[in-house]
Amino acid sequence: MPGDNIIVGISQEILSVFFDPLKRVYWVYLLSAAAVAFVWLKFRRNLSFFSAIRKIFSKASWWNTSARADYCVMAVNSALMSVISPKLLGQTAVAYLVFEWMHTLFAGRPQTLEYLPQWAMMAAFTVILFVLDDLARYVVHRMLHRVPVLWAFHKVHHSATALNPLTVFRMHPVEGVIFAIRGALVQGITIAVFVFFFGSKVQLLMVFGAGVFNWMFNAFLANLRHSHIQIGFWKPVERVFISPAQHQIHHSISEHHHDKNFGVALAIWDWVFNTHCHSNTQEKLVFGLSAESTEESHRLSLLYIQPFLEAFRTATSPIRRLREVRKTATQNSLP
Amino acid sequence: MKFKTMLTLFFVGTLLPALAQSESEVYMNFPITVKGYAGDKTDSASYSGQIARHLLHNSLKKLAGKGNGEPNEELKAKMMAYYAGTDEGREILDPKSKDGFAIKQTMIDEISKGKELKGKTYKGAVNSWPGYMTGPEVLEFLIDKASSANKGYDPITGYDYGQLISKFMMGAVFYNQAVDNYLDERLTADKNPNDKPYKEGRHYSGKEHVWDEAFGYFGAPAHAIDLEADQAYSIAKRKPDVMAAADHNSDGVVDLKTEMTYAHAYYAADADKGGKTSYLSDITGAFIDGRKLITAADSNALTDAQRAELMTIADTIKMKWEQVIAEATFKYAGSVYKDLQKLIAIVEANGDVSDAFRAYAKHWGELKGFSMALQTSGKDLGETAVKINRLIGFSPVHLDGNQVTGIDGNGNYMTASGSSMAEYMVHMVKLQNLLGDAFNLTKRKNDATSQLADLIESVGASKGAETD
Ligand SMILES: [Zn+2]
Ligand SMILES: [Zn+2]
Repeated sequence: MPGDNIIVGISQEILSVFFDPLKRVYWVYLLSAAAVAFVWLKFRRNLSFFSAIRKIFSKASWWNTSARADYCVMAVNSALMSVISPKLLGQTAVAYLVFEWMHTLFAGRPQTLEYLPQWAMMAAFTVILFVLDDLARYVVHRMLHRVPVLWAFHKVHHSATALNPLTVFRMHPVEGVIFAIRGALVQGITIAVFVFFFGSKVQLLMVFGAGVFNWMFNAFLANLRHSHIQIGFWKPVERVFISPAQHQIHHSISEHHHDKNFGVALAIWDWVFNTHCHSNTQEKLVFGLSAESTEESHRLSLLYIQPFLEAFRTATSPIRRLREVRKTATQNSLP
Repeated sequence: MKFKTMLTLFFVGTLLPALAQSESEVYMNFPITVKGYAGDKTDSASYSGQIARHLLHNSLKKLAGKGNGEPNEELKAKMMAYYAGTDEGREILDPKSKDGFAIKQTMIDEISKGKELKGKTYKGAVNSWPGYMTGPEVLEFLIDKASSANKGYDPITGYDYGQLISKFMMGAVFYNQAVDNYLDERLTADKNPNDKPYKEGRHYSGKEHVWDEAFGYFGAPAHAIDLEADQAYSIAKRKPDVMAAADHNSDGVVDLKTEMTYAHAYYAADADKGGKTSYLSDITGAFIDGRKLITAADSNALTDAQRAELMTIADTIKMKWEQVIAEATFKYAGSVYKDLQKLIAIVEANGDVSDAFRAYAKHWGELKGFSMALQTSGKDLGETAVKINRLIGFSPVHLDGNQVTGIDGNGNYMTASGSSMAEYMVHMVKLQNLLGDAFNLTKRKNDATSQLADLIESVGASKGAETD
């Protein structure tokens, strides 16, 4: 039956993320995150072996209204994105377009410089791609918070009241589209520029099927950001790399935590642009949008529809305000 | 005990079929099936007329490089004798015997008498060349220009006539004859029926010979399947180290009828070097399969089912043959791209461009010739052909950004400023992408954007399903 095929297809699509080294929830990364969490709880928090294990796999973080909503959103999104993604501007299209356009811009193409050693080019490409990608994520994330229309959609992610590694998939598809285009632009342009100037010398430094920096981030930090395990770093380190506890602050409902720590891997952007906040592992954090969140706020229909209504209202509010101002003006001018 | 059983099973299961397969597949020694044949022939495979035409083409290409830059009626007449003449006494100008590579024949007549190329040239309009000409008209035009050019090269237009003539002719004669005639309408039931000899008194049936002729035009040695791609390739280059591999019957000489590599079989071998593709053995294998099918019919008329199977094999051959030409076009688009990059650098450094421009002209001639050949299958390539022709244009882009746009009433070229050399590089990139997609290419030699594709793959598609 064709219906079966669709269900099989979607389940395969969902499961595939656990077997793709380019995804944060690749099983190896989840395992290494659990190992890091265990070491932290056992030796830093001095928990017993079993209480450490119990804390990592606690029902409170993996099975509650918020977590169940995460899983549902993940399923719905992966079905939606498999339809939407092919229609989006991809990095291939961007890379070819930029590569071709550079020929005209530079009236030809410079010959690859022979004296440039391959390892240096590989290192340069790997570092620059990682840094630019991280910067772009910071900028987009900050905009998602600061631009009201975008915030309407990003709120879906922040409506999570409990965090687990799969919360990375809790987002509105509109945000998914924004992130996909962001990735296509940054990666497409960087790849095109490097290939144009340095040709065959450019390669990505890879370990186990992923770029080396992404691999390190994914293996040790990525999955702990969305968790209840508050791992903080020594303060000077937290100025360079964002600790899991710092991202948990980003999800905190406390007033003094609002609009802090937009960064992904690097903290330097937050530091430079004044959105930096150190972790305080003694502080008990409450996650979500406000203290008043209820079971209702995790309803799937609400998560998908509400942002559109709110975005529409936000977008049209200046017009409405203008009308009101005019109305008052005419009323006032009446004798 | 168990181990022995397994070992035996292993031998029976894997080695025996392998041994059976290693029995060589050669396009020769097909029995005579024609009823009542009284002659002394023992092999019904025959395609010497096609080999004679390959040798006329090879020789013509040699002649195209003989001009001294002045109009030369004698050279032109000689070239026309190889293109349109049927006279006896024409020498094989290429390939000739050399030290360590002895060749059996020296004269065209030793292969087949009275053969010519003009009558077999694609008659349709050639939109890829200026002047609104038919196939034979384009070739005669190019022969005329070549005879008065200096070693076949015109530095003003950047035309390498030897390359243009050769690469276009391989399509307009060999490819067109095979895929548009022999593997097409001649396979219908009423043309060349299999229950009659091809002609009265011949030792092969109608369909047997039709199929042989198509194979002959492909240009593969009869034992191509036994050869490595680089061996088949080097045979055409007369490399002494492949002499033994070429000399299939071990008589000490290379028989041009069955042991030489020509035309598109040579380019199939070129693409196959390195093992990414297997065009040469795939196409030769398909020809052998088809020939076996016809031979098995034993000079009875082919049934509809047999003809349908034959058409399927023919379709495979047509598709792969087209890919071979498209791969060659792709490869030279990449060469032209690199040549342009070099040229621009030399111009910027105020260096001497003449050698680099000559190399560019040669590669462009190959690119253009192959792209023209691609359009001679009799099948309408539609928008693909339009785009290919527009991206390449009628001549290489000159240093000043001029390009040939047409031919005036006196047969002279007209030029106009078009795209810059840098923009022409982009045309080559677009052309490669177009060819790769339209013809499903896998070899993709000299791919100008392979690096982009590789990096995109290693970075991984950004599906954007994660957020913070
Ligand atoms: Zn988050
Ligand atoms: Zn956020």
